[in-house]
Amino acid sequence: MSAPLHPPTLSRRELLRRSGLGMGMLGLADLLGQTPASAGAIGQPNFAPKAKRMIHFFLNGGPSHVDTFDPKPNLQKYASKPLPQTLLTERKTGVAFPSPFAFQRYGQSGIAVSELFAKTAQHIDDIAVIRSMQAQVPNHEPSLMLMNCGDSIRTRPSLGSWLMYGLGSENQNLPGFVAMCPGGHPIKGAENWQSAFLPGAHQGTYVDSKHTDVDRLIENIRSPHVLPDDQRRQLDLLRTLNSNHRQGRLDPRLDARVQSFELAFRMQTEATDAFDLSREPQHLRALYGDTVHGRQTLIARRLIERGVRYVQLWHGAGQPWDSHENIETNHRKLAAEIDQPIAALLSDLKSRGMLEDTLILWGGEFGRTPSVEMSGNKSKLGRDHNHYGFSVWMAGGGIRGGTIHGSTDEFGFAATEDPVSAHDLHATILHLMGLDHERLTYRYSGRDFRLTDVEGELIRSVIA
Amino acid sequence: MSPRKPLLIAVIALHAAGLSSIPAAEKMDINSGRQWWAFQPLGKTSPPSPQDDLWSRSDIDSFILDRLQRAGLKPSPQADRRTLIRRATFDLTGLPPTRAEVDDFVSDPSPSAFARVVDRLLNSPHYGEQWARHWLDVARYSDTKGYVYAREEKNFVQASPYRDWVVSALNSDMPYDLFLRRQLAADQIEPERSPHLAAMGFLTLGRRFLGVTHDIIDDRIDVVMSATQALTVSCARCHDHKFDPIPTSDYYALYGVFHSCAEAVVPCSPQTAGSPAFQSGLRERQDKLTRAMETRREEQAARVRGRITDHLLAQFELDKYPEETFTQIISATDINPIFVRRWQSYLADAARQKNRVFAAWHAFANIAGEDFPKLSPIATQTMQTLPPTALHPAVKRLFTTPPATMVEVAQRYGALLTGIDTQWQDQQRNTPKVAAMASADDEELRQVLYSADSPCSVPDEHLANNEWFFPTNIVVELWKLQAEVDRWLIQSPNAPAYTTILADRAVPVTPRIFLRGNPTTKGAEVSRHFLQVLAGENAKPFTNGSGRLELARAITSPKNPLTARVIVNRVWAHHFGKGIVATPSDFGKRAEPPSHPELLDFLARRFMDEGWSLKRLHRHILLSAAYQQSSFGSNDPEVLAHAQEVDADNRLLWRTNTHRLSFEEMRDATLAAAGDLDLSIGGRPADLFAAQNKRRTLYAKVDREHLPSVLGTFDFANPDLSIPVRNDTIVPQQALFGLNHPFLARQAKALIASLSRTPDHSDAQLLTQLYSTLYQRPPSAAETSAALNFLNTPAVVKKSEPSAWLYGFGEWDEATGKVKNFTPLPHFTGSAWQGGDTWPDAKLGWAQLTATGGHPGNNRQHAVVRRWIAPQDGMYGITSSLIHEPTAGDGIRAFIAHGTRGLLRSCQIHHSSEQLDLDPIALAKGESLDFVVDIRDGLNSDQFLWSPKITSTEPALLGGNGESRSWDARSDFHLTSSDSLTPWQQLAQTLLLANEFVFID
Repeated sequence: MSAPLHPPTLSRRELLRRSGLGMGMLGLADLLGQTPASAGAIGQPNFAPKAKRMIHFFLNGGPSHVDTFDPKPNLQKYASKPLPQTLLTERKTGVAFPSPFAFQRYGQSGIAVSELFAKTAQHIDDIAVIRSMQAQVPNHEPSLMLMNCGDSIRTRPSLGSWLMYGLGSENQNLPGFVAMCPGGHPIKGAENWQSAFLPGAHQGTYVDSKHTDVDRLIENIRSPHVLPDDQRRQLDLLRTLNSNHRQGRLDPRLDARVQSFELAFRMQTEATDAFDLSREPQHLRALYGDTVHGRQTLIARRLIERGVRYVQLWHGAGQPWDSHENIETNHRKLAAEIDQPIAALLSDLKSRGMLEDTLILWGGEFGRTPSVEMSGNKSKLGRDHNHYGFSVWMAGGGIRGGTIHGSTDEFGFAATEDPVSAHDLHATILHLMGLDHERLTYRYSGRDFRLTDVEGELIRSVIA
Repeated sequence: MSPRKPLLIAVIALHAAGLSSIPAAEKMDINSGRQWWAFQPLGKTSPPSPQDDLWSRSDIDSFILDRLQRAGLKPSPQADRRTLIRRATFDLTGLPPTRAEVDDFVSDPSPSAFARVVDRLLNSPHYGEQWARHWLDVARYSDTKGYVYAREEKNFVQASPYRDWVVSALNSDMPYDLFLRRQLAADQIEPERSPHLAAMGFLTLGRRFLGVTHDIIDDRIDVVMSATQALTVSCARCHDHKFDPIPTSDYYALYGVFHSCAEAVVPCSPQTAGSPAFQSGLRERQDKLTRAMETRREEQAARVRGRITDHLLAQFELDKYPEETFTQIISATDINPIFVRRWQSYLADAARQKNRVFAAWHAFANIAGEDFPKLSPIATQTMQTLPPTALHPAVKRLFTTPPATMVEVAQRYGALLTGIDTQWQDQQRNTPKVAAMASADDEELRQVLYSADSPCSVPDEHLANNEWFFPTNIVVELWKLQAEVDRWLIQSPNAPAYTTILADRAVPVTPRIFLRGNPTTKGAEVSRHFLQVLAGENAKPFTNGSGRLELARAITSPKNPLTARVIVNRVWAHHFGKGIVATPSDFGKRAEPPSHPELLDFLARRFMDEGWSLKRLHRHILLSAAYQQSSFGSNDPEVLAHAQEVDADNRLLWRTNTHRLSFEEMRDATLAAAGDLDLSIGGRPADLFAAQNKRRTLYAKVDREHLPSVLGTFDFANPDLSIPVRNDTIVPQQALFGLNHPFLARQAKALIASLSRTPDHSDAQLLTQLYSTLYQRPPSAAETSAALNFLNTPAVVKKSEPSAWLYGFGEWDEATGKVKNFTPLPHFTGSAWQGGDTWPDAKLGWAQLTATGGHPGNNRQHAVVRRWIAPQDGMYGITSSLIHEPTAGDGIRAFIAHGTRGLLRSCQIHHSSEQLDLDPIALAKGESLDFVVDIRDGLNSDQFLWSPKITSTEPALLGGNGESRSWDARSDFHLTSSDSLTPWQQLAQTLLLANEFVFID
């Protein structure tokens, strides 16, 4: 039997050299107590991050910007008349359709927000509104892929997977990337949080937040067959067997795998704790609201507190915000479901001193048309998809609050000033999280791919 | 790459006239690019003769030893026989050897014993399964299409037939060149109904990309060129390849090949296959589809013919008619963009072919712009002088006076063609049997509207090819009919095999370069041809139809420097852990050059000489000394340390690399250990973790949209992408799967059950059986001692008690204040007690209890009851929060009852919570406390949270040291599973999880 080959005092480089399996081998970092390498991650930012974690409110279906964060009073002028220019959309639209919602200015910055997000608007001075977002086509599937994965058509890793690859997770006992959607998958399902060619460990962990049973929330988090104490004894035996097996063998994966069992054992308790809202004080549960959206938002806060890197909060299965018809009723109901939780989160994070290094993003895959959607000759009192110009907003780590970036034309159809693409948004997010979007690459199929492909400019005006 | 916005009308008009104002990119120097090693013909080096060579057994070894010696290294000792047979069996079949096979080999004195093992393994039908999976990674295999709209059947007709074809081809050692030619062009080299047509699943199993043609073709180019040539030709979609000598024109040359083909679903089984019921059911569905297609195609063509002028006018507003990526809901009254684009191509072709009908169109298009009014009279005059060969007489008559604008040109043409259509329709009504118009000139015009490739027509092809041509509601209708056919083929028991092939279209397409990859900005035309760097300086374009067979032949030509190297390298990589070229799907300039270039070429050359036989290649590799080395390295610590210093990555192969089992190998080996593995070959896929699925993991359903996340966790190849090398990660989610997923527990039970027991079998003997089955060796003394220690450690205190909690249902009896008819809930899912596997259950409805709460059954007779049994006489207090969250419904009723004394507390709540605490009360041993919830009055949104905690203050209960003892409904929830593993089963599970099971030396 050879002497132990990996005295812990060696540098990581030295250890890798001596392992006989080189830089490509994963898991050796486990000997040093880290796991990013074993999960196939770089595990550290390029420069000091402004935000260490992120929560993304994804309003799937496409919320109307002219009814929320982009007031267009000129639509009144054209009410019931055709707009001077109607752009090509997926479906037929008709005359101008002014917003049925009242807008009001908020905060010191005086930014106007509609009544639909009155509570969120209390925090407008912390928020940077981008009114000139653009997508590529007015269809859900490509736009979801573009917003989440940086490419409309091809299979590419999601933003969350890139963050996991670049930064690793701060807490080995929890999945670092969680996607919550109550009641089932959104359109395009797990593709929205896919890892594509990045290691599978970076895929998002989907949680159906409709369930109240904590044990349902993460796969395999508990054994139905073995008590924890017995499982501990199994692991002790495993350690003994693996330690014997290890002798004389050179592969660093052996130790990494042993470590992974220990991590798994700890994960069992820690993960269920994170999702257990009964541990939150009643007043906070009330602040967020005892609703499925209030609950999932509060869970998100608990997750990021525990080192989860990126939590995506979807509104619901399918595409709830896709109000082709009766937008007044539908958007009112949908906004009522999340306005309070969002406002609660912002307050809660602020009071914990966490808003300054947590990035919040709000938005959907596109916006909606200022012209009314038609069915034959009849108005549906709704709006069609609009990828030419829409709104998203950001708050928190590194964001200059109380600002507006860009604008759409007088009706809210197309972005006219400082248009922002998904690549620009992604470059900015990565930057705030301490990553250079041009340097965070992965070699696949002969090319160094990146989230922003060959594009992406920082949106400097929103960066503090 | 992201598409750019379309260019302005002026440029598009020029394109319509067949010209381009975009300058061509600087010509790439392919000749100097050809100097890269991968494009050079195979070298002819003979194996070297290393000094003092007592080690080499084969030519491979001479090459390896030579490099080792130059680096001052020595090879490692030979691995022992047990190690060798485990390694070889997993490598070749993906399965473990049996103990008997190991013993036979270990005790076989003959020097050719290993060769015989290798031959046995190569002849096993499971060889084809193992190596098929390696190919399927590269082929981006999937059983489903990926995201498609609900109207379409998401399962592929051709998936299982393709997979089974690959298995069978490898088992029969089909020559690799033929293996490739069939996958690319079986339609052209095999007879109808040939089982080899299934090979074309290789091309047609890609994602559907929402039907966007350009992306479907891109996927085909990518999979063909990555898999066979290890070239990233897809990089040239938008520009010349930045690194390799592949100009964008080569990409579009291949684009043209695939664009000249259409998908078709055809049988790949004999006429006689399939029961009469199957055949008639198929015919019925196919006829329905065919009739609907014919009708809808004709309707659509008539709609286009009815609006010729609009389609011509559309040529000046092309930006109003977006490409396929921009999907619109199209109604019958809309102009469908695809017809606008068809007219655009048709007019471009007409210009190239100097078509006399459209000569005037192009002449006027050439002078479009602000000078049109000035130049129009001149152009008109010129036109009047043209002979009939250059200008159709009717068109000449159309332009006796100058048109003022291009719009007017379009209107005149429109009127002419519409007039012809009207005449034709009248003629048809009066003399339906007459097949053409009387005048040849008129007939020529009519053909513009009615020929098979008229821009008015919908191609007569499978819906997958022509779905864009119909209004949205018609597409939905047609897909539903197609889906009926597909499902009949996929789901009928014992259905004969059908597959989706590509077949050449009647008229091949001449491709044009898409500038920056954007189909709205078209550049120069190119021919269909093979990559110039490989085809050579005097290469000719393809001339045979689409060129797909010529492409196949170019790829499989013995003169192609890449094909043999690429496959040899893939096989090498699977045997040694890393390829001679580290990037098996990229031999371009970005990739590391080969570690042993002469060896690679020697192997590739011999591979072709031996008839492109994969089995012979395996044999050469496995019988080499290099392959048979130990993975431990040298016994001498100094030699070992030196080797690690010099060649940490083991690129020179001074030892073999440890093989970690893939997910498939791990699952198969786990099933095999219990004797549980169903080794039947081929057929439809099964759900990966369905309890009754014991087939090899190769046959697990690969559903792109619903891939079990455990597969991603274990680095299974992403079915959307061609994967040459899987990732290799070690993460706690893998361990969680092993520890907690029912699969391992089930197999641990099966494994223990499979051991043969007689009354006098000692624990040590049973353990020996276990080790023999799992590791093909006896346990060491230390291992035996550790295991026996594990088995005999006193069980945890709680375990020896009868369970404190019961989970059931019953009815709350107001009169007595107790539960009546308490019945345990029969089924435990791992996280809930309920009526059965599915929830709600057919009999017990919504009744469910979980760690944190639950849901009452559908009526008051099915209240759920969490019952706690007192283990001792004592005083017990209760703390609990009952929470009912939903606003819908009328809420729930809840009761806490003493089993004997009756009701203690009750409440009714709705969308609120209530603290239900009780000061300590007396309970005798065996008496119960019931926590009961029912629906109140209405069944609606009755889920609740309630996990009470019971505390005893009786010191007697814990050995008298005065501590209170508590029972927490939530954390105790999992104590009472009837599925729990016995100590032996836990031991078996542990041995299945050990590194020895998963890492092969």
